Amino acid sequence: MLEVRAARKTFYRGQPDEKVALNGLDLTLATGEFAVVIGSNGAGKSSMLNAVSGSLMLDSGSVIVNGDDLTAMPVHKRAARIARVFQDPMLGTAASMTVAENMLLADLRSRRRTLRPGLNAKRLSTYRERLSILGLGLENRLDTRVELLSGGQRQSLSLIMAVSGSPDLLLLDEHTAALDPRTADIVMSATVRAVEALKLTTLMVTHNMQHAVDYGHRVVMLDSGHVHLEIGGAEKANVTVPDLIGHFSTKTDRMLLAS
Amino acid sequence: MDFLQTTLTSFVALIPVTLAQSLILGFVVAGIMIPFRMLSFPDLTSEGAFPLGGCICGVALAAGLSPITAIGIALLFGFIAGCCTAFIHLRFRIHTLLAGILVMTMLYSVNLRIMGRSNLSVFGSTTIFDWVPFTQAGFPIAKIVAVGIISVIVFLLLNFYFTTEKGTAVRAVGANPAMAEAQGINVWAATIGGVGLAGAFSALSGALMVQSQGFADVNMGLGILINGLAALMIGEAIVGKTTVWRQLLAPFAGAIVYYQLVSLCLAAGMPPPDLKLATGAFVLLMLALPSLRGAGGRQAATARESFRE
Repeated sequence: MLEVRAARKTFYRGQPDEKVALNGLDLTLATGEFAVVIGSNGAGKSSMLNAVSGSLMLDSGSVIVNGDDLTAMPVHKRAARIARVFQDPMLGTAASMTVAENMLLADLRSRRRTLRPGLNAKRLSTYRERLSILGLGLENRLDTRVELLSGGQRQSLSLIMAVSGSPDLLLLDEHTAALDPRTADIVMSATVRAVEALKLTTLMVTHNMQHAVDYGHRVVMLDSGHVHLEIGGAEKANVTVPDLIGHFSTKTDRMLLAS
Repeated sequence: MDFLQTTLTSFVALIPVTLAQSLILGFVVAGIMIPFRMLSFPDLTSEGAFPLGGCICGVALAAGLSPITAIGIALLFGFIAGCCTAFIHLRFRIHTLLAGILVMTMLYSVNLRIMGRSNLSVFGSTTIFDWVPFTQAGFPIAKIVAVGIISVIVFLLLNFYFTTEKGTAVRAVGANPAMAEAQGINVWAATIGGVGLAGAFSALSGALMVQSQGFADVNMGLGILINGLAALMIGEAIVGKTTVWRQLLAPFAGAIVYYQLVSLCLAAGMPPPDLKLATGAFVLLMLALPSLRGAGGRQAATARESFRE
């Protein structure tokens, strides 16, 4: 369960270009719930995700996961509970390391790292199994350095890494935006399968209105740093892309093109 | 013919001495490689940590401490020097190279303070080379055996460490700090520990050098960094850098080959003052090679990348 309470963050405070990124944002996500976050540029989507993951420290307010207050906790400590897939496929993996080593790093996310050899036969076979779900053949390329993979393969690997170890919270930051439509579909369907199979509490930011309509239990629309609108339950099941776009206070070309 | 013969004779005569020297300097090359390759933290601390280790070892030997204790103290202070550089970079967001220059410059004064003068003779003190059985102390073979054994042990330990769970995490920090952090790795601890370890290796090299040559000098680190880089480039060209053990073997192998090459140049009559120019030109060439190979429009971009490397 995720609770964000009265989150506030101002950039460049007291300067002419002062920017209020989060303006008393409140959001609650039940355990196992999959919420899709939409909003125009500058609405506070990335700031919210960064505040939850810990890479942005709040001016005030709190971030609570499963009852524990994480507000003051640094990124690497939150990582035991929170997994994240970045928009840029280059960000989520270590390029100069092999597929297996990347899987190992994700495997150890919530565990104490010891002085025992990292990769062993048992782990390798587990990783092979996990990667085979994608159907991209990554399970046969465990010793390949990640920099030799395509963007889509890297992003798929990031996803598998993020969901391994069943994190308390999964953050997806426009994770299909940088991919071609076909690869985006592969990654998106793998995401849905993993989220459903593991009943992961998930927060997905997207600019793709169709994804917001198709996936998740709830749509959360942000505007100027707070929750502008929430659509859940039966209403969510019947919502359409034009409905969603109608709720935006400012319509951008990108949004209209996406519809 | 005559030129070839004298060159060859003097080169062969120098092989054992050069080998002993290059094995000792292999540690400082490892101390340059670890931040540079494992942590993506180009670092200049070794230029100060090498003489630091030497000066501390010199003073400790002069005070009558055992050579092992002297090396131990040198290791500790080298580690602290490396930690300082990493901390300055992380805390104040100062570029790694500048942080290294700051620490290196400050260490010069520290080294002078430690010794109380600019050089110190330790001839006659017991060194670890006196303990090698069946050899005459002071001869290169004793040094080759002693330092060779330490090199093998250090290489095996490093090779083991960097494939453990902890070691893999440290390598991830070098490969992608943002990803490492998101995977629960403490980037500060890994960086400070890793650069500290490198400083310790540089100091170890300095301490062994002082025991080998019989004196400590504040200027003994001058140019060590560029020599070490040249050795590293050669090592990587020979054994490669695609796997952990290759990357770790490169500094040791590179040091051996590089110093033999230097010895060959000197034997062939190259004036010693030109050595730094030649070394610098060589490192420049090795760094420039990727962009020279690249064609047309890609050249500028690759050049920047290989510098970042």
